Amino acid sequence: MKTKKLDRFQGILLLIIIIYSVFVAIKNPAFIHIETIFDITRVASTTLMVAIGLLVVMISGGIDVSFMAVALFGSYTTINIMIETGIDNLAFAFVSAALIGGLLGVINALLISWLKLPPFIITLGTQNLFHGIMTTFISDKSFGAGVLPESLHAFGQASVFKIKDVGLTASVLPVLLAGLATWFILYRTMIGRGIFAIGNDEESARRAGFNPFRIRLFVYVYSGILAGIMGMMYVAQTNALYPNKLVGDELIVVAAVVIGGTKITGGQGKIFGAVLGVIIIYLLNTTLIMIGLSSSWNNLFVGTILVISVAVTSYQEKVKNRNNLIFTE
Amino acid sequence: MNKVNKIIRRDLNLSILTGVTMLVLLWSAVFFGDAMYSLKNIQSMTFQIPEFGFLALAMMLSNMIGGIDLSIIANANTVAITSAYILNGQWAFGMTGSARIVAAVAAAVIVSLLFGLLNGVLISRTSAPPLIATLGTMTLFQGIGMAVTGGASVGDIDKGFAQMGKATLMQIPLIFWLFLLTAVILGTVLSKSKFGRKLYLYGDNPTASRFSAIDNDKMCICTFLLTGVLAGMAGLIVLSRVNSAKVGYGDSYLLQTLIVCVVGGIDPNGGKGRVWGVLIAVVLMQILSSAFTIMSLSPYTKKLIWGIMLVLVLGLNYALRKYTNRMELRKSLKEGC
Repeated sequence: MKTKKLDRFQGILLLIIIIYSVFVAIKNPAFIHIETIFDITRVASTTLMVAIGLLVVMISGGIDVSFMAVALFGSYTTINIMIETGIDNLAFAFVSAALIGGLLGVINALLISWLKLPPFIITLGTQNLFHGIMTTFISDKSFGAGVLPESLHAFGQASVFKIKDVGLTASVLPVLLAGLATWFILYRTMIGRGIFAIGNDEESARRAGFNPFRIRLFVYVYSGILAGIMGMMYVAQTNALYPNKLVGDELIVVAAVVIGGTKITGGQGKIFGAVLGVIIIYLLNTTLIMIGLSSSWNNLFVGTILVISVAVTSYQEKVKNRNNLIFTE
Repeated sequence: MNKVNKIIRRDLNLSILTGVTMLVLLWSAVFFGDAMYSLKNIQSMTFQIPEFGFLALAMMLSNMIGGIDLSIIANANTVAITSAYILNGQWAFGMTGSARIVAAVAAAVIVSLLFGLLNGVLISRTSAPPLIATLGTMTLFQGIGMAVTGGASVGDIDKGFAQMGKATLMQIPLIFWLFLLTAVILGTVLSKSKFGRKLYLYGDNPTASRFSAIDNDKMCICTFLLTGVLAGMAGLIVLSRVNSAKVGYGDSYLLQTLIVCVVGGIDPNGGKGRVWGVLIAVVLMQILSSAFTIMSLSPYTKKLIWGIMLVLVLGLNYALRKYTNRMELRKSLKEGC
């Protein structure tokens, strides 16, 4: 019964995407070109990576707005190390960024577990903390195309397969891997059960034998690792590195995950939903110009969709709760 | 001595805050001397406090009911844009002079009330978590501002209105008096009126307040209406000070208002805190801000300091709470024996 309802929500999202796409295609046939679709995939792939990490955090009942700072911290530090030591190795880049991301995730998890305050406020603090530490103590130089390691650039340009000279970016591979790993963790392991359990009710989860601290640690570290990898993918794609990019774009990812039907109070959320949410946002982002509106209309549409989707999901929950005589707000 | 001790103990948080503020005042007097305490600098600080102070009061109200309002800055900017269009004659409908100013202020109040109402209705009627609901409305308000202006800044406003932002009374800007007056009224309402009592109860435990015959939906909508109006006032002040309005002005205020609330003793889980604390915290924040400007720190370093400050204050509050809880436990155990 419950899964059926969820699928209906995702079905509606899918329907919106399809109807909108058809509408755009009629207005501007250039949209159906394979280039446009591959381009949207390329831009959306990095966001999807952090969206998956955020999804896991939100299922556990928390929220993380520091992941963009973590991504920047991880990639920026790694690139600095690589340039100084002359290492030019793709595997090293990703592993190092992921490790740094994981470490910063530990800091987030410890602070949230100790202070017992809304994770939003704490991660907003650590977002500024991480970004500040990076720019003050490591460096705040920008790196152009020439200085960056060659292997990263090659990865950014590589494609999985090509249709008529247009390739699908290789960035989809890490995202696909992350998606599969997350699916496995969420639905096939005890940790995944624990994540859903503490998202639904921490006290019950504790009494059922889960250790909320350990699960929280895992969740934020996982989000940090994915963020670190995403930072590297971003550098490879843009082939440049600035100390003021990425940070500040967190909330749109949060919006994407929420549009995908994830409950912010925890215990509910699907990977496919997050994917749909990200697609909707990037679809609007890239196609508004095609239907003759300027990109300044973007926020208006995203905001409207977000408000409606939040209202619908929360209202369903409220009705269900009131029917069961649950009066928590 | 005992009496002093008692006063300090009554509100440990506020006492510590006052002590720290005095230390910072002293420190900045020793280090910067005239650069900090010249009439000119004090005036410029009192010019900067109101817009930020109004936003902090708005954030405080939403924090007190256990929520958060991310949309205040977007609200302020969009209100400022609306008023700017009326003041520069584009939406004036033939009005001129002071009629325009009255219309602009009225429009600001109406628009900010509408925004507040949307927040309140969304959060109370659908039980949407405030964080996500206001994230949505934030994007929406920003979107309205962007769609109207296309991202450009709206300027060329009525000279009379611009003068209002610069007017002073007894050497202190009029807008600062306005801020003080609002804070005092808000403080009185919260601590003395029936509405204030209900607000604290609702913030502390909404389920209990629902079963105590308090209309939760009404409380929530009222709070967000107030939050909206306060944010709208901030927008008007920005407009009168900067003489132009655009989307994205003052984005860094979000973190700073939260820091001010936390430093001022507002519990983000709701039900605790006083206007007085926030007022002191706003002053503290402004002095630090001015000190950073005098020391010409980079924006990145400022970011680092704000981040450390937020985490540090949260940690200290936590330690303090633990300490007082243990003290009370010990006391009650002693009395039990």
